[in-house]
Amino acid sequence: MELILASGACDPAEEIICAPADVLELFEFKEALFSIGGFHFTKTVFLIFLAMVIVLAMLFFGLRGNRVVPTKFGTAVESMITFVKDEVAIGIIGPEGARYTPYLLSLFLFIIVGNLFEVTPFINFPIMSRMALPLFMAVMTWVIFVFVGFAKNQHHYFFDTIWPKSVPVALRPLVGLIELVSIFVLRPITLAVRLFANMVAGHLMLTLLLASGWIFMSSVGDIGARAVIGVPWFLFGLGIYVFEIVVAVLQAYIFTLLSAVYIQTSVHPEH
Amino acid sequence: MVEELKGAIALVGYGLAAIGPGIGIGIVVGNAITAMARQPEAAAVARTTMFLGIAFTEALALIGFVLFFIA
Repeated sequence: MELILASGACDPAEEIICAPADVLELFEFKEALFSIGGFHFTKTVFLIFLAMVIVLAMLFFGLRGNRVVPTKFGTAVESMITFVKDEVAIGIIGPEGARYTPYLLSLFLFIIVGNLFEVTPFINFPIMSRMALPLFMAVMTWVIFVFVGFAKNQHHYFFDTIWPKSVPVALRPLVGLIELVSIFVLRPITLAVRLFANMVAGHLMLTLLLASGWIFMSSVGDIGARAVIGVPWFLFGLGIYVFEIVVAVLQAYIFTLLSAVYIQTSVHPEH
Repeated sequence: MVEELKGAIALVGYGLAAIGPGIGIGIVVGNAITAMARQPEAAAVARTTMFLGIAFTEALALIGFVLFFIA
């Protein structure tokens, strides 16, 4: 329990819910698990590498060999790859979307594994709740769609954005300014914040409800009947737990889907 | 005085930020369900578009949520 609620200072006799004094306690792991040459492996860094290894192992063992009849695990991995390729890459971007499948697939698998750490027992930490990761992936998507936009449409990509031909002349400066800000500034920010905030909210709710419930129920000897407060907290936490599994998968899907949509608007600008 | 009020104001701000997206997501999902019920063969397209609409609408609520912690 001290793994997820770093502050041990909770007095069940006084408080109704055991909230940490500083919310950052739930997301920062200061002490390194081990260090290699001045590079400190905290729990977060370790989990990032673990997610990478899990994704690589999943793809390696799922697609190993050239079987006529794939194994059950291989079928599951293949159906996931087919889903990203057919539904997201080709379905959204169009026929030339197949070449973006590797990028979208790596995004999808890495995010889904990183998010599901939130509901994995004994890990209980979504790595996407640290802003650096979603922001880096959003910036990567940003670089790709801006680069593709300029490569496919040359300077038209920028000038058609700030001077859109499809709206009346009087509105063009206004619409152009809104488009400019929303495409080049707001897109990567909202893309990153959406994933980040969903994971932060989920981790906060799970930690506060489950930890509070557990602390109250386990101190039944000290506080007597007040320990009953912990039961609804814990049950509510378990309900949220199931909900968070859905959120983890859905957010991975939405991040991949939006990356594909952004790339699509660069490949086929609408004018 | 202002310091004491800060947390409460942030809470109210997040509550306000959740109103618009709440209504918006309701409209998006409601219309997506109508579309799926009318044309079940187009359900896949409607579902993808619905998730996109939810994601765009939800962004405002999430920004409010982040600002709640920053404030």
